[in-house]
Amino acid sequence: MTLQTHPDRGGPGTPLLQAKTLTKHFPLGGGAVVRAVDGVDFAVMKGETLGVVGESGCGKSTTARVVMQLIPQDKGDMLFDGEIVGGQALTLKEYRRQAQMVFQDSYASLNPRLTIEDSIAFGPTVHGVSKANAILKARDLLQRVGLDPARFAARYPHELSGGQRQRVNIARALALGPRLVILDEAVSALDKSVEAQVLNLLADLREEFGLTYIFISHDLNVVRFISDRVMVMYLGEVVEIGPVEELYDDPRHPYTKALLSAMPSMDPDNRTMEAPLAGDPPNPINPPEGCRFHPRCPHAQTVCAKVKPILATVGEGARQVACHMQVPGSGHSHAPALEVAA
Amino acid sequence: MSTGMSTGKNTGMSTPLVEIENLTVRFRGAQTVHAVNGVSLTLEPGKVLGILGESGSGKSVTLKTLLRLLPESRTDIGGGVRVDGRDVLALNPQDLADYRGAVTSMIFQDPALALDPVYTVGQQIAEAIIRHETISAKAAMARALELLELVRIPSPERRLKAYPHEMSGGMRQRAMIALALAARPKLLLADEPTTALDATVQIQILLLLRQLQRDLGMGMLFVTHDIGVAVEVSDRLAVMYAGQIVETGTVRELLRDPQHPYTRGLLAANLHGAKKGERLEAIPGAPPALTEPPSACSFAPRCKHAQDRCRAALPPVVQLGEGRVVRCILAEQALTAAA
Repeated sequence: MTLQTHPDRGGPGTPLLQAKTLTKHFPLGGGAVVRAVDGVDFAVMKGETLGVVGESGCGKSTTARVVMQLIPQDKGDMLFDGEIVGGQALTLKEYRRQAQMVFQDSYASLNPRLTIEDSIAFGPTVHGVSKANAILKARDLLQRVGLDPARFAARYPHELSGGQRQRVNIARALALGPRLVILDEAVSALDKSVEAQVLNLLADLREEFGLTYIFISHDLNVVRFISDRVMVMYLGEVVEIGPVEELYDDPRHPYTKALLSAMPSMDPDNRTMEAPLAGDPPNPINPPEGCRFHPRCPHAQTVCAKVKPILATVGEGARQVACHMQVPGSGHSHAPALEVAA
Repeated sequence: MSTGMSTGKNTGMSTPLVEIENLTVRFRGAQTVHAVNGVSLTLEPGKVLGILGESGSGKSVTLKTLLRLLPESRTDIGGGVRVDGRDVLALNPQDLADYRGAVTSMIFQDPALALDPVYTVGQQIAEAIIRHETISAKAAMARALELLELVRIPSPERRLKAYPHEMSGGMRQRAMIALALAARPKLLLADEPTTALDATVQIQILLLLRQLQRDLGMGMLFVTHDIGVAVEVSDRLAVMYAGQIVETGTVRELLRDPQHPYTRGLLAANLHGAKKGERLEAIPGAPPALTEPPSACSFAPRCKHAQDRCRAALPPVVQLGEGRVVRCILAEQALTAAA
């Protein structure tokens, strides 16, 4: 038996994944709570790559783990191609065939006592594929990710370089024929020259298998290169989301602006002269009231400390920003004027 | 053995702060690793040289040699290392202890590992001052406070009494810089000091280092794998591959006119300005294992310009100008064509 491919149920207009007010809090004891992910809404369309950026503690990895259902959410729902994840129409086991993940640490992700072809074949056998067929599939995938099966199939993880191991992890993620692949800092541990190879591979595989990616990274250059849309997170919340070029060329949220201007200039005649923000990103335990960015924001006003801005659509509708300066009538002096009804 | 390669010709204007001459480092073990294979470089006082390379290129090993931090029983070091007129490799234990911190100091990637968890930040800085100067404990603590102010730690009086775990990552990195500056070194070695930091914190630390280096007139060797970071802090760059420097020049020269195919590949792989959907010009393959000393161009197996000559002998060391050196036959051909 081989695995069935998954039909596109909802059609191209239905997002592949929809997260609705996804929330994950970690209690610390003594009443303190890490509000790692706090009411996050986003959608990933079929065939697109959604980049997720933000600094440590912003909740990007927790979001990935909840999306993968490695940890359950406290609140909120996820719809996968229109079906509730973990519901009757789409059980967790069935969902996990369709959503797979690649982690940052290529070595910790692989069982050191399994050869790489056994690692890749493991998932399909769990889902009922015969061992022989699973091994055939594993070798085929090794070929696809650029590792000659004759040379590599019988090796153990420690016999590979970091870049090769990450190719194995990608092959394993593809073994179940998923539709969604979550890449959590998947190229961050690789050397730059190897990183470029793996990025090319990811682009090829997306094309070949019609994949949808959620690509989490702290490297804004890499995210710009690979993403169609980008989601910016800060302290467990989405502050801005939009098409990649628009967002990079014209960031609307002050935090997005700061993050982008913190990128090295790559121009010796035009070095960065001033840091856009002072201090470290705050701790997601007891985040500030109102807008969570307001204590570090150069434009903060009274309303920002009191009222939490909602993620609102701005401009042509492709962009959403959670900032009072973007919402007419928010009470912020930089907000656009309210349109008078005709 | 390979010929030495200088990052800046000594014109006699000033004595270099750092002079490394044909440095080789071998680690003995089950398998010998030839980590550094004939590195020569000079650093003028008050200047910053960025050393750029990937893991295993020998950049950190070169840096550690300057403080003799490598395990002596398992390491063979050849060549010469002079810092501020001292023969570093010949220092006896007492002189080495005086030299560390006072002449040359170092900051690391992970301040949580570099700082002692059971002493306060103030105690650690004061200890370093007392080791190198005749000074009372009280005066040393006052100097420690000045140092925390210098690295712009908010509420420094309170932080003086803080333990490392009570500080955020960016603040710990500032505290480590203060510790490194405690005995007023002439040379600061920086080993990926911003790699573990978030983007908005990284730029703060880079700007701080740049300013301190300028204000205190220190020389700095800054090791990183990130070209963008190197450009922000360096006057000159040296690109390392497989334990050798393959190209040196000013930051402008390397960015605008990279000559070595590896340098070009690294610049492309940085993705700065790369457009979506474009194919990246990735360097194929992976760096060599360094179990043998190089007898040919180490980059040849990954280089699309490689010729028989590259695989048969060490590449020529081509001097393109004052302090502008490339270890590649392409540069030689360009030079011949121009002549």
